Amino acid sequence: MHDQPAPSSPQAPQGPRPSGGPPREGRPGGGPGGPRRGKRQYFRKKKVCRFCVERIDFIDYKKVEMLQPFVQDRGKIMPRRMTGTCSRHQRWLGVAIKRARNIALLPFATEL
Amino acid sequence: MEERLYDLIFICMPTTPEEEIAKLIATVEQAAAEHGGKIEKVEKWGTRKMAYRVAKQREGFYVYVSLHSNQGELIKELERRLKVSDSVIKYMTVRLDEEIKRQQKLVGRRERRARRRPRKPVAAATPPSGEAAAAASAPESH
Repeated sequence: MHDQPAPSSPQAPQGPRPSGGPPREGRPGGGPGGPRRGKRQYFRKKKVCRFCVERIDFIDYKKVEMLQPFVQDRGKIMPRRMTGTCSRHQRWLGVAIKRARNIALLPFATEL
Repeated sequence: MEERLYDLIFICMPTTPEEEIAKLIATVEQAAAEHGGKIEKVEKWGTRKMAYRVAKQREGFYVYVSLHSNQGELIKELERRLKVSDSVIKYMTVRLDEEIKRQQKLVGRRERRARRRPRKPVAAATPPSGEAAAAASAPESH
């Protein structure tokens, strides 16, 4: 196992923690902690919000090609820490994806 | 009541004949005219693969209508007619005027700010301070 610092309370505001710590169940997912499960590395690139850079104000639910990069192959919405989207646009993105799902432009869930 | 902007999308069975669809669109237009609505545009997206099965079909004929109205009952009436129609398998109405208003506000705010201080070329790393709150996400990623 990795080095074991005294585990702080899971609810402490998480700044970047180089030592990490054993992943805890049920911890609020905000912040870069947690991806020690072998899925992704610890914050491997600093992404900026694509929508902020392109200054898009209205995320159109009808444009599937704009939404597709933010949806996993199982149909789930990607978390913000993976796409680098800012909170405001992530909210709008979620609304757009859910609308697109309702009108069968995007799936609710796909079988792997 | 002020003008509201709606998006209406409905999906017909892929086997629906052309005149049936034209009739549906005419119904929509007529209902809109009766209830004080105005059709902005009608787009037929044609037969398209759907992301999941609806009414045991994998494909559907999509029609998109954008309309203005100042009466709320128009939407209720339209949806009632679509629900009753046999060839329409799915429909969705979205109200968009608030979002458009907010978008224009953001655009206006941005232009005002750009006029007030000359903007550096769009650098992803350091947008000028006082830029939209979206920039506040940058501190998160260190």
